[in-house]
Amino acid sequence: MRPSDELRQLVDDLALRLMVEDPAASAGSNFSGWIPALEKIRHGAAQESASAVGTTAEGIIATLGAGGGLSGEQAAAELQEGILRLQGAIEAASKAPAISESPENRLAQDPELLSDFILESREHLARIETQVLAVERDPCDSEALNSIFRGFHTMKGLAGFLELWDIQKLAHEVETVLDRARNFELKITPTAIDVILESADHLRRWVAHLEATLQQRPTDAPRQDSALLARIRTLTAAPDSPAAGDLAALAAAVEVKPLEGPPAPAAASDETSAPPETARAGRRGEAMAVKVDTAKLDYLVDMAGEMVIAESLVRHDPDLRTVKSQRLQRNMAQLMRITTELQKTAMAMRLVPIGPLFRRMARLVRDLSRQFGKQVEMVTEGDEIEIDRTIVEELADPLMHMVRNSLDHGIEPPPERLDKGKSPTARLLLRAHHQAGQVVIEIADDGRGLDREKILSKATQRGLVASGSGLSDNEIHNLIFEPGFTTAERVTNVSGRGVGMDVVRRHIEKLRGRIEIHSQAGCGTSFLLKLPLTLAIIDGLVVGVGKERFIVPLFAVREMFRPTEKILWSVQQRGEMALVRNALLPVFRLYRKFNMEPRSEDPCQSVLIVAEVEGNRFCMVVDELIGKQEVVIKSLGETFKSVAGIAGGAILGDGRVGLILDLERLFKDRTSETNR
Amino acid sequence: MASTMLAVTEPAGAQTDVRAGKYLTFHLANEEFGIRVLKVREIMGLQEITAVPQTPCHIKGVINLRGKVVPVIDLRLKFGLPAAEYTQRTCIIVTQVQGESSAVLMGIIVDGVSEVLNLTAPEIEDTPDFGEDIAGRYLLGMAKVKGKVKILLDIDKVVSTQEIHGLNAILS
Repeated sequence: MRPSDELRQLVDDLALRLMVEDPAASAGSNFSGWIPALEKIRHGAAQESASAVGTTAEGIIATLGAGGGLSGEQAAAELQEGILRLQGAIEAASKAPAISESPENRLAQDPELLSDFILESREHLARIETQVLAVERDPCDSEALNSIFRGFHTMKGLAGFLELWDIQKLAHEVETVLDRARNFELKITPTAIDVILESADHLRRWVAHLEATLQQRPTDAPRQDSALLARIRTLTAAPDSPAAGDLAALAAAVEVKPLEGPPAPAAASDETSAPPETARAGRRGEAMAVKVDTAKLDYLVDMAGEMVIAESLVRHDPDLRTVKSQRLQRNMAQLMRITTELQKTAMAMRLVPIGPLFRRMARLVRDLSRQFGKQVEMVTEGDEIEIDRTIVEELADPLMHMVRNSLDHGIEPPPERLDKGKSPTARLLLRAHHQAGQVVIEIADDGRGLDREKILSKATQRGLVASGSGLSDNEIHNLIFEPGFTTAERVTNVSGRGVGMDVVRRHIEKLRGRIEIHSQAGCGTSFLLKLPLTLAIIDGLVVGVGKERFIVPLFAVREMFRPTEKILWSVQQRGEMALVRNALLPVFRLYRKFNMEPRSEDPCQSVLIVAEVEGNRFCMVVDELIGKQEVVIKSLGETFKSVAGIAGGAILGDGRVGLILDLERLFKDRTSETNR
Repeated sequence: MASTMLAVTEPAGAQTDVRAGKYLTFHLANEEFGIRVLKVREIMGLQEITAVPQTPCHIKGVINLRGKVVPVIDLRLKFGLPAAEYTQRTCIIVTQVQGESSAVLMGIIVDGVSEVLNLTAPEIEDTPDFGEDIAGRYLLGMAKVKGKVKILLDIDKVVSTQEIHGLNAILS
């Protein structure tokens, strides 16, 4: 809606009055006299839903109203600038096309711009958070401070462009604080850190709201948090006098630093080397990155895979074999190298570094350690390790659970740590590294470790185990993965509900990973998550059944062998079992399940594969083992979504499609097969 | 032929039939069928098909189409015709059909493809009512070209996943 002439007149009057009275010149003039006029403008703006004008007016009122600490000159300057902004807002509003009032509704008409904004804001907010934590550790880190400033500044600009005034306003206020901080006019205090983090949270809520609006899921817009705005303003308005000394010292410290020469970076690297370094790496990576549609990426991977197959078909062509030419051989070898390299590169394009995920945990550690009154230092290693994008996203929840558990149960409060002769500051290590083609993520604390006795007594109480006798440490530790298991005496909002670890394990298994615990009483606990590099590829065991070939995911295979009659047993002539390593395991025959013609009905002529899903082991009978192959998983599409026991398809080395078995489903359905 | 050309260039108001246009014709047993050319992605010779267990018999399985896994159905079996030996002329028509959420590729095995015809509205007739037995819901209409009748198929309906799942339910 266009602002009416009346509103414009009000603002013009104000500007005129400013010129006439010139409050900056007359010291000690009373600024409260301006407020009624401003209120009138705000009221008028609200009626005409000229939100930009209203917000600006409100901003001036708040500055003047809260401005007990403002000197006359400052207030006059604020006022002058505010009135200029008001005029600008009026201009902008009258130019803007007279359409809908709610910014989100209007924006929904340009979803592309908005979704770009959402995406970009998320990135900025994530970086802001990391950098704020860096600043908290080292308030002199001007690099980080600048980065935070840039983040808010960009968001402000974008929000202004999209006419999201509330976001723009908040970002602007924070930006002012940061601007002063980086000019050494303001000291970054813990309060300031809190306020900045809270502002970031508030902006994140806004972004979430925008996203919901975009997806046609109306939510309530986050309320403009005037308390937060006021707190930001108190920061900027805080009298400089007491801080002046500190500021000088601060400035001196910053100036001295480069003079110290080589020792300074060395000293820094001892303590806080990891965060700034990774931060810089992140910025560098950002400059080099390109956003690509995942569908295009998938197509590239498909084509690369096809090229490898086509290349192998050509290479093994019988006609070509008869040609004895060194040159041909050399060129073929070269072609093979290139295709393999190309396929590897195409696969690697789906991978992202794990660092940002770790940095998200830093915030959690900060907040929780305050809440629990514990001192925790989080250390990350292997931030540059790359892993499938989907895995990173899916990993956030389980990782958060485990970090929470560590802080709540594992790490002791400082006095207790001192009693035990440990440093009062606990260490939480997040480490990623490669191991045997997998990525291992380690979450290790140096807390009290798992309490064997307590777990055992709880487990007996819940009837999970009959008695503690004969259980290895490892078996006892694994009890914490049982659903509903908790050793916490009381339920906090953080942990103790017993929905933690079993969910974590299920998540990890869904990602085709495994979880292990190593714990030593008094020295700490470490969780090892072993994850595949990517979800798009699995190591498959190619097996033959009848005329068809199937792919068994190797991560679930424990062993395979040709059985002898001695180990096979049947129950009532129906259920079959095999004795493998002193354990009786159910046996099921794949050909029966799939109604196929096997090469031999006699299991002693076949191969037994021992597989494990969700902690259950079972044996599967197949005709033969053909080999092991890394395959790219492809969906069979909606046509076959109801086929039980098949997880997908994959292109085998000869270009044909092989079906990947869904062992979990096969195991669950095996009863229906045996009853047949 | 001249009239055919005319009909294409001239959007004849009253005569316009959404069914007019180009059709790929193929044969099954002794019957001629046509599907819209726009629905056809490619025509390929028969290749090895990987059977998918626990599916109705007209679903032959899946093939690798340049890195994509594409399901294949045998149209003879789908229409209840007797199965025939695959010959040199047997081929797979890869069609793009409307799936539940997005367009999907689907191969259909036919005895052989014939030609591409440009059909005009006057050549197309509605399907006569055959009663319950014949699956009239798959048909767009009938076309009479040079004294021969071509059966125009609505390929989306023929291979719709609902159809496949429905059969699944009956079988199991």
